[in-house]
Amino acid sequence: MAMIDKRLSRRRFLQASAAASAAAALSGLGSASRLVVAQDGPTGTFNWLTWADHFYDEQLDAIDTAVGIRPNATFFSDNAEAFVQLQEVGGQLDMVSGDALWVPRYYEEGLIAPFDINSLEVSKNLYSVAREFPWWTVPDGYLGFPFGWSPVQIYYNPEFVTPDPDSWEVMLDPKYQGRVVTENQPVEVIAYMGKLAGAKDVYNMTDEELAAAKANLAQLVPNLLKFTDQAQETWALLASGEAWLATANLGADLVVRDELGGPELKRIMPKEGTVAWMDAEMMVDGGQNQELVLPFLEQSNQPEYIAENFLRYGRPLFNEGAYKVLVEMGEQDRADRFLFNEPEAILDPNLTLKAPGLSTEAAINAFNEVVGA
Amino acid sequence: MTELASRSESAPATDGQGSGRGRAIGRLLPALPAFLVLGVLFLGAMAFALVFSFWKTENFVLVADWNVDNYAKFFTVPAYVRTFGKTLLMAALVTLGCLALALPFTYFLVRYVSRRWQRIILLAVIIPFWTSYLLRVYAWQAILGEKGVLNLVLETSGLISEPSRLFVYNDFGVFIVLVYVYFPFAALALYASLDRFDFSQLTAAQDLGARPDQALRHILIPQIRPGIITACIFVFVPIIGEYLTPTLVGGAQGVLIGNLVVNFFRGAQIAQGAAFAMIIALFVTVVLVVFRRHLQVEDVVARG
Repeated sequence: MAMIDKRLSRRRFLQASAAASAAAALSGLGSASRLVVAQDGPTGTFNWLTWADHFYDEQLDAIDTAVGIRPNATFFSDNAEAFVQLQEVGGQLDMVSGDALWVPRYYEEGLIAPFDINSLEVSKNLYSVAREFPWWTVPDGYLGFPFGWSPVQIYYNPEFVTPDPDSWEVMLDPKYQGRVVTENQPVEVIAYMGKLAGAKDVYNMTDEELAAAKANLAQLVPNLLKFTDQAQETWALLASGEAWLATANLGADLVVRDELGGPELKRIMPKEGTVAWMDAEMMVDGGQNQELVLPFLEQSNQPEYIAENFLRYGRPLFNEGAYKVLVEMGEQDRADRFLFNEPEAILDPNLTLKAPGLSTEAAINAFNEVVGA
Repeated sequence: MTELASRSESAPATDGQGSGRGRAIGRLLPALPAFLVLGVLFLGAMAFALVFSFWKTENFVLVADWNVDNYAKFFTVPAYVRTFGKTLLMAALVTLGCLALALPFTYFLVRYVSRRWQRIILLAVIIPFWTSYLLRVYAWQAILGEKGVLNLVLETSGLISEPSRLFVYNDFGVFIVLVYVYFPFAALALYASLDRFDFSQLTAAQDLGARPDQALRHILIPQIRPGIITACIFVFVPIIGEYLTPTLVGGAQGVLIGNLVVNFFRGAQIAQGAAFAMIIALFVTVVLVVFRRHLQVEDVVARG
């Protein structure tokens, strides 16, 4: 990852900034597209619980210099982990990142405060569909500021995986013993296996569906090289040829080939459907530094920053302004391959959005029982 | 603390009872921060975990519905008991491995190496601590992996014709890396013990007719027993809770009990995770009590 970061460094950041100016002039996005919007407002530090790919250091430095706001970011792995953490510390946090149907759950528990998304100038850069997701809309406003999204797909190395698969079943094929990787997320892995078992709602499975998913997992485990800790590890194993099959977000093939010099990969959306994530930044209800959240979002979601974030971390985001910047930078082909300009794809009925399910504890137990000795 | 208090109370009071109590408080004061830290950060946290372990998690929310189901699950699901057993076996093997490596190493160091070189070599032993645990384990991925250094060397030297996948992402990989990680702890504990040993006793034993192995068994080992037990504690106990090494080099087959417990916490199943953590903590306590029977605190502090 360090190698990737180095390649995508200051040079491209400056390139993005230059392209941004041109894009702003051409697209008429006006003030919403300036890299740094001068503003008179509150300054200070606020607490942000998020994933590490929601920002990059130069971005935070620039925002701090421009408007005097800096987040103190701490990280989490799973939605459930962040949810519990916010329940415990409440207003000590000011902003939390969350996924899809987890977001309304935060709201139901009174943990987050909705806001008028259209009151933010920078919202004009979002695809319109991203401002209108029904599950994030409540009478008081919108529950979060949309950020990134992706379905989880199967990537495979066609040199070794033949014939071309179309189902989750390929991951269970004994031909690929020790050649499959998936991220270490028990509930998600059980969800994939639930999809293969034909479960209707993979986060709220019946006992029979869970038993079938568990049986599938038992077949998967001998094929697993390892459970990876993060996406970068998955990419590295695909690039080195140690793994032939993996679950990953959109764009893993490009990162593996272009950034890591790995083989040409193919991807499939399994015929049984798959799970998808779409995340948002939520404002904590009663956060001690809540007044800094919206001014920060106004800055951090400027198209230039989002374009650079895309180039660094590689998955589509809901920011149309950033897409235009990428086109200006000559990165349209790359963005299109990530479906950057097709945000409505997240509404595909074959996708199950990440959600807080009632079968979570049973799913973890099923996972542990198979993976344990 | 009780011992400290009773010692203070039994001390002669020159200025009456009030000043004796004042002197006791004065003695206690410097240790107070440590007691507070221990009480709040360790015992307090453990108390919370203990309470939560008897509750339930419903739809990601802890509910004070007292029950012992979480404990029952551990003992009624064979996978959990087996994984715990496997963890204990791994901890025992790594402890043996560390002792087998560290004992001859420190014996040689203390007996045959000059003081100056001893210091340099000991520094080399602890130098890995200067880098993060995570980096050291990642480095082992690069060494043991299919495209790693070890396979490269073996292939280049003609010992294997194609890269082996046996070195990592399995229990063997976990064992190797854990021995590497915990070797310094065993070596330092044994060094401190051997450093105080009078080696002329071995010569005397042999002069009196003991074979070298008899001299080692009957003279050396009993006298460095505190060091051996300390090394066992430093290695065996932390491995019971190991999470990172099996995650990085264990693959899907090298899972230890710590990994299963973490899955509960990451999935916000706090009550279940707390119960499992308490079972492990209880077991560690029992292990320490057993070790304690063979070891006085003074042994560790004063004799190494």
